[in-house]
Amino acid sequence: MHRRTWRFVFFALAILVGFAAGLGYGWVINPVEYQSIGPQTVQVDYQTDFVLMVAELYQAEGDLAMALARLDFLGASPLVTINDAIGYANSRSYASADLYLMENLAFVLQQALDGRD
Amino acid sequence: MLEDTREISVTPPTSAKRSSWYLLTGIILGLILGLAYAWLINPVIYENGPPAALGELDKDFYRVTIAQVFWVTGDLERASLRLAVLEDPDPVYALGSQAQRALAAGNDTDARALALLAAMLQGSPQYPSLIPESTSLPATTTEPPQPSVPTYTLPIPTSTP
Repeated sequence: MHRRTWRFVFFALAILVGFAAGLGYGWVINPVEYQSIGPQTVQVDYQTDFVLMVAELYQAEGDLAMALARLDFLGASPLVTINDAIGYANSRSYASADLYLMENLAFVLQQALDGRD
Repeated sequence: MLEDTREISVTPPTSAKRSSWYLLTGIILGLILGLAYAWLINPVIYENGPPAALGELDKDFYRVTIAQVFWVTGDLERASLRLAVLEDPDPVYALGSQAQRALAAGNDTDARALALLAAMLQGSPQYPSLIPESTSLPATTTEPPQPSVPTYTLPIPTSTP
């Protein structure tokens, strides 16, 4: 192969090596650190506890609109959020009274959604 | 004359030394591209963070929700466990200052709940002292609420089960 072609190949390889080193440094050694995260990226156990708090408040207040507004904090659809929380709570053997509160909220929410359709 | 010409023509070229510079240039160029990709175009996205990593506004919402739940359940142990995950340097101060902000914004209910929790954490039932004295609170709020639901054992939220 022509000498110039070899130089081009080595140059491209050098760029690839540098690119890989840059990725390694930027992703693993010194990744970007954001000052804060969003509620939707909070760990699932904390999300579940937040849903439990909403369910506790709903039990006391009986205000479904307020419960929906609070669940909106977690970003996803309220029904998906609460069902995920119930699933997690079941898998972690939450106290039955806590599970009842969340299931009650899910039931009321489902009924409200069914009634709307 | 002829010998001089020969001497000039046999001067060794520096191509051997220069040959490695293009490789270094390539590596530096690749490094810059790699860092730009890793930091700007496709940075690491953290998932499953703790509530302590939330932004200030989100932390305020989380905190006031904890205080509201304490207001209705009176479960101080659970409230303090929940507050701990926010990792405030001084939870009582954080609650008190948020109570004052809530009061200034006209959210009396939130302010009372936050102030009550702050006072209970301090071990003092005199929570209205956390609110400016010019503000008059309803007499019904001077006593902490009794737990209206049984206290449950909260599974301590950790990343490792």
